Amino acid sequence: MLRSDQILATVEMIQKENLDVRTVTMGINLLDCRAESLEKTCKNIKKRIHHFAGNFVATCDKMSRKFGIPVVNKRISVTPIAFVGAGLKKSDFIAIAETLDQAATDVGVDILGGFSAQLEKGMTETDREFIDSIPEAISRTEKICASVNIATTQKGINMDALAMMGTTVKDLAEKTADSGGFGAAKFVVFCNQPGDNPFMAGAIHGLEEADAVLNVGVSGPGVIARSLERLIKRHPMPGSLKLDELAEEIKQTTFRVTRCGELIGRAVSGALKVEFGVVDLSLAPTPTVGDSVGELFKILGVDAVGAPGSTAILAMLNDAVKKGGVFASKNVGGLSGAFIPVMEDAVLAEAVGNGSLCLEKLEAMTCVCSVGLDMVPIPGDTDAKTISAIIADEMALGMVNAKTTAARLIPVPGKKAGELVSFGGLFGASPIMEVRNSGQSSRFIDWGGRMPAPIHSFRN
Amino acid sequence: MKKQMIISVMSKDRPGIIASITGAIYKLEGDVSDLNQSVLCNYLNMILSVSFNENVNKEDLIAEISHIKTECKFEVSIKEIDQGGEKIPPPEETYIMTVHGPNRTGLVYGISQFCADHTINILDLATTLKGNRFSMVLQLDLQNCPSPIETVQSALEDYSEQSGQTITMQHNDIFQVTNEVTLH
Repeated sequence: MLRSDQILATVEMIQKENLDVRTVTMGINLLDCRAESLEKTCKNIKKRIHHFAGNFVATCDKMSRKFGIPVVNKRISVTPIAFVGAGLKKSDFIAIAETLDQAATDVGVDILGGFSAQLEKGMTETDREFIDSIPEAISRTEKICASVNIATTQKGINMDALAMMGTTVKDLAEKTADSGGFGAAKFVVFCNQPGDNPFMAGAIHGLEEADAVLNVGVSGPGVIARSLERLIKRHPMPGSLKLDELAEEIKQTTFRVTRCGELIGRAVSGALKVEFGVVDLSLAPTPTVGDSVGELFKILGVDAVGAPGSTAILAMLNDAVKKGGVFASKNVGGLSGAFIPVMEDAVLAEAVGNGSLCLEKLEAMTCVCSVGLDMVPIPGDTDAKTISAIIADEMALGMVNAKTTAARLIPVPGKKAGELVSFGGLFGASPIMEVRNSGQSSRFIDWGGRMPAPIHSFRN
Repeated sequence: MKKQMIISVMSKDRPGIIASITGAIYKLEGDVSDLNQSVLCNYLNMILSVSFNENVNKEDLIAEISHIKTECKFEVSIKEIDQGGEKIPPPEETYIMTVHGPNRTGLVYGISQFCADHTINILDLATTLKGNRFSMVLQLDLQNCPSPIETVQSALEDYSEQSGQTITMQHNDIFQVTNEVTLH
């Protein structure tokens, strides 16, 4: 039998510290669903999703009860729809989005991602039709998330696609103005988008994947926060605890958290006979008190999130999380690291409200976190080209640093910097961030073309 | 053909008890496959699983142990069993229950009766008393439990409320995967 102290530490982690499996996401390949007509294609898509995911939610719930660990979200990701619908028009893509929404409702999943395109180098006519369809497709559906990859370290940044992103984000927000521009929260622009990420809004089932695969996203900033607090409490003498010991604690706690995800993933995969893909260990906060990444900054020594030192802390946190996760799981993938989604993290939102965290500092922090400018509400009157330019900066960080970066910006219609926006539930609330130097970047966006890949991409 | 025996020994604790008992087993060419011992209030209780050659019987072992020079007599009981010596892994439906709360009489009885009512077998049980705080960790086998896990969990919640103890029950695998390097 295990030692009592190990047992009690594990019980604490599960019962009191918000340990959960944030998501089990089933990736489903839809490439061969394409048929001679749109109707038949939609029918095939529905059939495929029902076939693979019919028992998915019930199985996740069963395993969750067996192991006593909540599985918060059950999701599906599909092959990027622009590939599935090659040659289709805008209205056809909207019809596919509605089909996907219906199929997601039928099988009972929370969200379906993969209404996506890969545009890092060039764009086809289909891709343009697809991008045009995004605002309407997302505003008409409930469970569909869209994403577009417009840059990679290998290929550079597609500036033509980038220019379209600002307009798409604005249209999405305006089409969903009655809910504060919530549509924009379901659309994310990527650089180096992974094909096995289980987290939304950016989950896709990459072209490199098998017919169906299960990816698990585990979280647990609360678990890390409590373990750090306990360690600090055990060392009350100044100078008796060093930063590397704190990093080690994060690493070990991450190991335990990841292992729980691995256990659930293997169990669900075994029961459904669907291949187990990866565990994505990402510290993804929720608006619940005590489940915040922002709180970790304060525990680790800066009194205001965004104060000097914040970027360094995030770099250490992200690295320690990756190290613990990699050892715990057979296959780690997806984004794996720390998320800093402003609206979804009560402490980050508070820092925006009191002025300690500004957009420029947040951008600097995204150089060392695992995603990017995530769930950032900006003033509704921010022009499309400025939004594209903010996205361009974020893409450049990802491209040059060979990491995934993303931008999920929400220009909240009719609201100004400092005003509050709330989407409720896991999407949270935050004061709107100020965008300085708005309207100063349009000539840059107007160039179009491509930003060349950095020199270190030529490793061949 | 080997003969498997389960040997239980109780005695006042002193340095060298384990050496004496295992020495007696060694003289009879016994092979210890598992041993568990604990000391409570200065009394040692040990249970061993040992395999012997077919010609060794219980009486030989008792005679060998009785030759050990000791102040306090050993209380020994021996059972011969049919099963082989290999370690049996815990069944798939193994859960860990933890119980914490203020000490009072009837705590172990109450929780073990709860387990009995649900046909739950207790595989292992350890208790600790610190000041007036009593805590208990149990390893349980639920494979013969007729109710689904959610029914047991909700009955346990009711019992926890009524007894004033904080009680949790989680699957054994969670504890293994979070505390051991190897993932089975």
